[in-house]
Amino acid sequence: MSSNALTQPDPKETSMKIFRTAALAVGALLFTLGASAQTLNMAKALDSPHYDSQRTTWSPTSDVTHMIQDTLVALDWDGKTALPLLAKSWTTSADGKLYTFKLRDDVQFCSGKKFTAADVLYSFNRQRDPATRSPYVWRAGKIKELRAPDPYTVEYELTEPYSDLLVQMTMFNNSIHNKDSVDALGKDYGIKGIDGTGPWCWVSWQPRTELLLKRHDAYRWGPSMYKNAGPVKFEKLSIKIIPEDSSRLAAMMSGRFDITTHFPTQFIDQAKKSPLLNVEEAKPNFQLNYYGFKASRPLVSDKRVREAMSIGINRAEIAKSVMLGQAEAAYTYIDPNALDFAPATKGIIKEDVVRANRLLDEAGWTKKGSDGIRIKDGVRLAPVVFIPQVTVFPRIAEAIQGYMRKIGVDWQITALESGIMPGRLQGQDFDLWTVTVPYLSAGELMNFYFDSSQIPSPNRMNWKDASTDAAILKGRTALNATDRAAGYQAAQEIVMKEHLWIPVMNTRMYQTSTKKIKGARAHMLFQYTFYKGLDVSL
Amino acid sequence: MSAATPNTSLPPKRRAGLLARLMRDRVALVAALVLGLMVIAALLAPWVAPYDPYFTDLPIAMQPPSAEHWFGTDNTGRDMLSRVLYGTRNTLMMGLAGVLIGGALGALLGILAAFYKRIDPWIMRTVDIMLAFPAILIGLAVAAILGSGLSAVVFALVVSTVPDVARVARGAAVGVMGQEFIEAGRAVGVSNRTLIWRYLALNCISTIAVFLTLRFGQVILVGSSLGFLGMGAQPPVAELGMMAAQGRDFLFMAPHIATVPSLAIFAIVLAANLLGDAVRDALDPRLQQ
Repeated sequence: MSSNALTQPDPKETSMKIFRTAALAVGALLFTLGASAQTLNMAKALDSPHYDSQRTTWSPTSDVTHMIQDTLVALDWDGKTALPLLAKSWTTSADGKLYTFKLRDDVQFCSGKKFTAADVLYSFNRQRDPATRSPYVWRAGKIKELRAPDPYTVEYELTEPYSDLLVQMTMFNNSIHNKDSVDALGKDYGIKGIDGTGPWCWVSWQPRTELLLKRHDAYRWGPSMYKNAGPVKFEKLSIKIIPEDSSRLAAMMSGRFDITTHFPTQFIDQAKKSPLLNVEEAKPNFQLNYYGFKASRPLVSDKRVREAMSIGINRAEIAKSVMLGQAEAAYTYIDPNALDFAPATKGIIKEDVVRANRLLDEAGWTKKGSDGIRIKDGVRLAPVVFIPQVTVFPRIAEAIQGYMRKIGVDWQITALESGIMPGRLQGQDFDLWTVTVPYLSAGELMNFYFDSSQIPSPNRMNWKDASTDAAILKGRTALNATDRAAGYQAAQEIVMKEHLWIPVMNTRMYQTSTKKIKGARAHMLFQYTFYKGLDVSL
Repeated sequence: MSAATPNTSLPPKRRAGLLARLMRDRVALVAALVLGLMVIAALLAPWVAPYDPYFTDLPIAMQPPSAEHWFGTDNTGRDMLSRVLYGTRNTLMMGLAGVLIGGALGALLGILAAFYKRIDPWIMRTVDIMLAFPAILIGLAVAAILGSGLSAVVFALVVSTVPDVARVARGAAVGVMGQEFIEAGRAVGVSNRTLIWRYLALNCISTIAVFLTLRFGQVILVGSSLGFLGMGAQPPVAELGMMAAQGRDFLFMAPHIATVPSLAIFAIVLAANLLGDAVRDALDPRLQQ
């Protein structure tokens, strides 16, 4: 200890210390104010036809509605766990049919209106009203009745147990709407505005150009997965639509934008090495790129033909060469890390070109034309394949088309504009189609695609099988995790052994931001990474 | 009747002069040589292409030009030279079909409009309406209705070529209608059909041919643009516009995938335009003086 420590402090030095401390404090305050007054600039590849979350399946709608609106429960970073959000707690009855949600009493909409149980009842009733034509109404379960015994309690009664309910409650279609806003805007709801309880509030939207949001100053009810419960740390959020990959790339590299989910995949490795950018992969992330067979069509009705096409390709090569390593080969329909994955399905698809040829021979496609394409009863093995004409779909399809030619199958690829494709997929005039599907659990995919009640769409395979339906029902109505897993795993085994799909790859998803942006963790929900953005700061 | 029919076709001496004038134009010669070479290469594609243009080989995807693959490989490992040869073949056939069919229909409409005054306003107002839409927009609309594919693009090119040719043909035909031999033909009782085919059409054909030669380059460009937008040939068929579009996502990594087919389009369009200009100059009597 020096002698100076025992002497009186020098007043000049003390005042300097105070000044320095004050200056630092003012500087810090100014920095904080400066930061909070900033606009966060986001780039997106796709816009939406509207932002009414109950009337669409379109994923570019989902990320924005998650910013503006809240759900009763939030999805944790693990992609499996439901966390309290607008509902602070919940209980389930012994028969699994009644959920009682206790709501927060400190929540308000951007308009200032207080959030109550009436808003929850209104939102779910609107969704199940046939006039709303909500494509994702199934995600809310088979509702028998909704009751509000008091302003902050909701009784959610189902006609049958629904084991996936809480996870599905995190989806954007189950967001809470303000009846006043819906009524006031009428047909313009989701186009000229939305009043939500989310951390961001609607300001304006120029379709295919820019969506502008502002901070919800009263927001304090963010889910516990975020360090910051609210409000967000930016005054405004500007989301600009930049469809061209190269333009988005240049804009991010030049610092014009702060953050994007849509950094061109082929340049992700360069972005990782860039001193200007941060890249974070969403983990886990369940997005399967698959080709489905319309099993009722003559060319692909034989299981052997379907299997031959599935095992005649090299998924690892496609993932490496077409996706430049930004995807993982998929040999099962469900990602092994997803809830209720069936381990027994792992060995069903074994790539083997020799066996693929043998299967096609056994199925009667033995004769070959001068172009090497197989012929049976005068018909060429040339199935029609519908693909969306966006992003990597054409490239993947062409790569698979090359493999198919090697086993004597001539894929007739028909590339459809993404706006036209959903309508064309309602028809029966194609043999295969492809999409990339985001999902939360095995149960979701099994219920949505393989249950016979979903024929003709989204069960485009026209797959009607009593044992599949029974297994899915068992999983859906299970009262515990073991029974749920058993049901869904049995369903996976059945449909995979029928080779109703060609799983190709699980695509990776990244969030890219400039180095000045902090706390931008990538979420995995429905093909977008931003979610609430509560921790994002400068 | 034939003995009484006046001679209405070009004199043989003028035809010989046309070729001689074209031969003297060095730019036209080079353009003709380039276009001729590309046509020959396209016609012989099945025999001269070093590889199967549809054979994919992912491990060698996006390789730069080398001794094995002169133009490199594309994003699925296909040989670019082979695909450019086949792509040129499809692009030229698409352009030729668009020009010939659209030219024939447009010429017919234009000549009929000039000959039959009663239907002239109807045809020409329809043509005016069609001319109000850019060719690429007509192409997109047709492709959207009929679906994507080479035949849809050819149809779109035909539809977009008809109004231009109809207007030019009518203009030429109106000029010929004022000539004395038309009056003479009518006076000796020549039928309308003969007047149209032997008097009118034959005398308009050189003007229409020159216009179509000039138009060929534009048609290739519109067709390639539709291919670039995904409305044209569907995979794995090679078509230059579509191939350029496939390469744009790899401009930084493998620039040859987009630039090689783009250069092929550039060469075809430039050669066709230069040749068209030369043919027009050679046939223009004012320039001959």
